[in-house]
Amino acid sequence: MTAAPPEPAARWPGAAAFARAWAKAVMGTSYVPMTQAELEQHLLSLTVRLAAGLTREPIDVRVGYEIGGELVATHLTSPEGLGRTVEVIELRLLRDLGMACEADPDGAAVQDRLARVLGALTTGFTRALRDRTLDEQETIRRAALVARDQAERALRVSEARFRYQATHDPLTGLPNRALFAERLGAMFAAVASHETARIGLCFIDLDGFKAVNDSLGHHVGDQLLVAVAGRLGDRITQHLVARMGGDEFVVLIEESTCVDDAIKVADAALAAVAEPVHIGGHELCVSASIGIVEREVVGTEPNEVMRAADITLHWAKSAGKGRWALFDPERNAREVARYALSAGMPGALDRDEFYLEYQPLVSLAGGGLVGVEALVRWRHPELGVLYPNRFVGIAEETGLIVRLGSAILAQACAQAVAWGGDTYVSVNLAVRQVRDPRLVPDVTAILHETGLPAARLQLELTESAVMSGDDEPVSALRALADLGVRMVIDDFGTGYSNLSYLRTLPVHGLKVDGSFVAGLDRDPPDGSTDERILAALVSLGHTLGLTVTAEGVETAGQAERLRAIGCDAAQGWYFGVPGPAEQVPGLYPYAAVQNG
Amino acid sequence: MRQAGVGGVAGATAGETAKASGVAGSRAGNERPSLARMYDYYLGGSHNFAVDREAARQVIAAVPDAPLMAQANRAFLRRVVRYLTETGIRQFLDIGSGIPTAGNVHEIAVDAKVVYVDLDPVAVAHGREILGGSDRATAIQADVRQPDRILSHPDVRRLLDFDQPVAVMIVAVLHYIADADDPAGLIGRLRDALAPGSYLALSQTCGDGRGPDERLASEEVYRRADHPLHPRTRAEIGRLFAGFELVEPGVVWVPQWRPDAGCLDDPAAAGFVGGLGRKPGLP
Repeated sequence: MTAAPPEPAARWPGAAAFARAWAKAVMGTSYVPMTQAELEQHLLSLTVRLAAGLTREPIDVRVGYEIGGELVATHLTSPEGLGRTVEVIELRLLRDLGMACEADPDGAAVQDRLARVLGALTTGFTRALRDRTLDEQETIRRAALVARDQAERALRVSEARFRYQATHDPLTGLPNRALFAERLGAMFAAVASHETARIGLCFIDLDGFKAVNDSLGHHVGDQLLVAVAGRLGDRITQHLVARMGGDEFVVLIEESTCVDDAIKVADAALAAVAEPVHIGGHELCVSASIGIVEREVVGTEPNEVMRAADITLHWAKSAGKGRWALFDPERNAREVARYALSAGMPGALDRDEFYLEYQPLVSLAGGGLVGVEALVRWRHPELGVLYPNRFVGIAEETGLIVRLGSAILAQACAQAVAWGGDTYVSVNLAVRQVRDPRLVPDVTAILHETGLPAARLQLELTESAVMSGDDEPVSALRALADLGVRMVIDDFGTGYSNLSYLRTLPVHGLKVDGSFVAGLDRDPPDGSTDERILAALVSLGHTLGLTVTAEGVETAGQAERLRAIGCDAAQGWYFGVPGPAEQVPGLYPYAAVQNG
Repeated sequence: MRQAGVGGVAGATAGETAKASGVAGSRAGNERPSLARMYDYYLGGSHNFAVDREAARQVIAAVPDAPLMAQANRAFLRRVVRYLTETGIRQFLDIGSGIPTAGNVHEIAVDAKVVYVDLDPVAVAHGREILGGSDRATAIQADVRQPDRILSHPDVRRLLDFDQPVAVMIVAVLHYIADADDPAGLIGRLRDALAPGSYLALSQTCGDGRGPDERLASEEVYRRADHPLHPRTRAEIGRLFAGFELVEPGVVWVPQWRPDAGCLDDPAAAGFVGGLGRKPGLP
């Protein structure tokens, strides 16, 4: 800033003409954010200052420096702007302002002064321009850094959002299956083989969620899930709670110390779910079933733990829901074995792995062979020979018992024809077979195909098979009786022993369960009680015109007592263990051998 | 060449945040020329990098008047804003604002609310720094091809009241927008969001009166810089004002639009045609 007071423009009458020429000279050289008139006005003020500096004693060259800077500040920044400014000042300033002839007639001194001021002006201009350029470069570089930071931050945010979306359930906001699997996998990866870290897993499934969805709509169902998820997340804060999908949730207990840790979590989850949820005017009461697995990390793997939890969840469901169940490896092993047998059974039937053994039924009065009971065996390729207690129950559950029963009936009939004679072959009928509408045609066809006389076939039915209350089994039994097939009630005395059916059913005999026979060897009072029951059953049977056969006879004493009571026939180890079909013909001389 | 609005047409359909930021990460540096920074160079500024200057020098080699064109557009913008300020407009939406150096809207309309929009993140960051914590002006990053995104931007909503007249400035931008991007449709969406009494100021390159050689040369340069040019005829530019009443003198070479004094000898040398339109009705 100049120290001198502002010069009145009036002192330089030619200044306006010069400023106009100056403005014209620099027009278009740079973008100047002002009108031509404003520019002229501005340059006029610079002209006056320039003139004042030139004429001051001693000369003040700083004014040239300042004006150079002000040109830059006015955005007259182009090289052309400077060039034309120098040119117009040199050509016109002294003349327009009438300075040449004032104090310096030869003009040499003022020319000298002008050169010094112009030198200062170009210095001021270029310095200001350089500073401005450096400043602008600095700001633009800073802006570039800011922009890059923002871009990187935006990228991180979007990555974080993407990661969140990829690892969380959009409905409930809980971690999803992917995040759960990641954490579970990380747990296993972090544990070395010698460590004793334990893992707990609660696999939670809502009971009756489908009913809510079906009756109140998916919208309400979704809200219920959100509410339940919120509670689980709020109550179980120490552990990862994830939604696996549908109405399934899982809690991962990463630093479990014992089973109780997991049970506490499961109890908390049950309590959280049990509180009623209010949605859209509905009060929804749901419960949950939970499968708990708690064990050492070493020795298992994520998939195995998940599967165990899933299995255990089903145990909780089948045990009545609204509860937790704890994984039991032995139970699991049994179920796995059972499942393997169940799955292998159809193939085993196709490969004829089921075969029959026969146990003799002997007349207590005469000692002669009256028949044989067919007992099914499974020659399992890996497990060896399996007895019916291992697989008949499974076959009944799966329904395969109908096919199996039919196959062994056919086998028994064919073998009975092969060994000939007039003894009957006794074959067990399962409940489902009796209720199967194909039973009668099936038996008819088998008898026809094998050529076995109907009188040589005896079918053993349990009390429950004939007591269904339906008419169908009864009519089927009548049809079989009409064919001439014998029918006996198996395990008589151990079921409900409703005697009314004995009046109406075409039954030929009773088989008394071996548990009564076993009592015959015992001392009174048990022994005598069983004996009296047996006597009563024999009496009952005979009263109704039925033969009575005792099962499970193992000793000569038992046989003697049964004979004394008047029991008709008996079977058991005492009379012969089950043996292959080929041995049956050899049983015919049985009576002779026994009776000496 | 106030390249801004399409600041980074280069990379950019600046759509998805993630996508844009992924690209911007590299573009925020100085690896590719930015239209905003090239424009700054034409105006004699130093808010540019070597890559911008190199591209700008190529344009100047093909179109020696390029700096003049930039100046003419900036002067057009200044006159339009001054006119609008005198008319009582107090809200400006400047789409494709570029580096908001001297003479920009908020310096001319000192008591108005201003939102600068540019695609170049560097231009936006620079604008924010210049504006500092101003409560009446800000800069946002967006693409003129996504008017809905601009209109719904929280900063735009915060600063501008669309129940009151707003002046939308699209100066020296639309020649980077292909017909396939439907410039008339983009303007229509902006127009529909404006209150009666709002304005649209628009300019872009016009091929009228140029020799085919020169046109081809400049188009080639921009195409090489990934910014293909789409010059339009004055009639086509006039049709972009559909739904607006043109303020006198209508759609003209930008130096002819309400000049201060001493108009350029050859207005067509400015290469840009522009105008100002008013959305009919009482504010």
